[in-house]
Amino acid sequence: MEEEFEPNIIGFLCNWCAYSGADLAGTSRIQYPPNVKVIKVMCSGRINPMYVVNALQQGADGVLIGGCHPGDCHYNHGNYLARRRIAVMKKLLEYMGIEPERVRMTWVSAAEGRKFADVVKEVTEDIKKLGPMTKIRRKNAWQTIES
Amino acid sequence: MADNRELVKVVKDIVSREDVKYVIGYKKGTYGFQIMPAFAYDTKQAEEFVFSPLCAKNLATYPLLEEKLPLRREEKEDKRKIGLVVKGCDSRAIVQVIQEKGLSREDVVLIGIPCKGVIDLKKIEKMFPRQKDLADVEEDDSGNYIITIKDEVHTVPKKELLSDVCMSCEYPNPVIYDALIGEKIEDFEIEKFERVEVLENKPLEERWQYWEHHFEKCIRCYACREACPLCYCKECMVDLLEPQWVRRSVDLSENTAWNVMRAFHLAGRCISCGECERACPVNIPLMELNKFIEKEVKEMFEYTSGIDMEEKPLLGMFKPDDPEDFVL
Repeated sequence: MEEEFEPNIIGFLCNWCAYSGADLAGTSRIQYPPNVKVIKVMCSGRINPMYVVNALQQGADGVLIGGCHPGDCHYNHGNYLARRRIAVMKKLLEYMGIEPERVRMTWVSAAEGRKFADVVKEVTEDIKKLGPMTKIRRKNAWQTIES
Repeated sequence: MADNRELVKVVKDIVSREDVKYVIGYKKGTYGFQIMPAFAYDTKQAEEFVFSPLCAKNLATYPLLEEKLPLRREEKEDKRKIGLVVKGCDSRAIVQVIQEKGLSREDVVLIGIPCKGVIDLKKIEKMFPRQKDLADVEEDDSGNYIITIKDEVHTVPKKELLSDVCMSCEYPNPVIYDALIGEKIEDFEIEKFERVEVLENKPLEERWQYWEHHFEKCIRCYACREACPLCYCKECMVDLLEPQWVRRSVDLSENTAWNVMRAFHLAGRCISCGECERACPVNIPLMELNKFIEKEVKEMFEYTSGIDMEEKPLLGMFKPDDPEDFVL
């Protein structure tokens, strides 16, 4: 029997809202897919859009970016800046022919454990449908020798 | 088109000013359709200056390349200005750099020339291959280029030779200038940059195939970066080793990452002079990326680069009601 494709999703979550939201989902024992690997950042505005490209290059099938709701940012406007950057980056990747569903952004507050679980479920399902990312995957020297 | 005698006269005036170090403009190259940048330190050198539809190079790169050596003891900083011959797009590049505080308005003296579009060197060399003799190109009023090579005179319709970016140029007149040569162009046609829309309407897989084909060719010479008047970071992200954002190997993955990075860093800054595409030795259609972002940025954030010196940079500001339909 063929194994089902389990996507690798990198989640960049902001320390104050999205990460706490994920924490709450855990402490409330809400079940959600284990595909998201979380990287905590202090603010969604800290996420350089090149992180997204690098993640897709190095083995991620999708990227999820979580920040505070607009107006709730711990640093006043970090998430507003992130929103602009990711909007431009998403458009650019889509134009280049990389599925836009692979880069997702969400607002999750520290009290929204349920929402976080739902978002992860949705993103995982979407990327499962798309299949593994092959387009800009980095090829390491040892991999080319093997195959 | 601007009158060369008038240009030389203005350049002479400016170069003989006390507070001007030198003036950068164009002079004729050594053969064919070449035009090269000229640096005039005195009035004699200013006599070589020309302006023709062949003057495609964006000279706005030069003031940023100037090396500032450390001062010796009791030596004073040379605060003299640099003169610059600018077309519409070049002046926007200067505005954008001033907006980013890369230069200040006092650093430059701008000689503006309204421009009806420049010739794509790749197109004209295809039409007249291996041209050894110096050629002269002028534009007449009926939309033709008159090309004089030795004694032969050719008349070629403008559309066949015009650079692609110039067809969709919205700012043929300089945005800022200290001296204007010739008259401002009032009526001009703007065509859409067709290549972007053609590609945008194709399905996703075809788009990727298109870019895959182009990015595989990339040799990562970074000519696009060097030619760009807005790529003036002292340390480019692609050169960094710690952290290493893009590996140095030339393969599809790294080439794509570099080209994404280049295009993204010009989001809301590119003034569409087309210099990157002109510089590319393997003919990657880089302007299709830049123009696409320009269009999207205009739609999403109502922002145009290189118009207002006081405006804040696109990705350094926000509006609370920015579009967020993509957010879950």
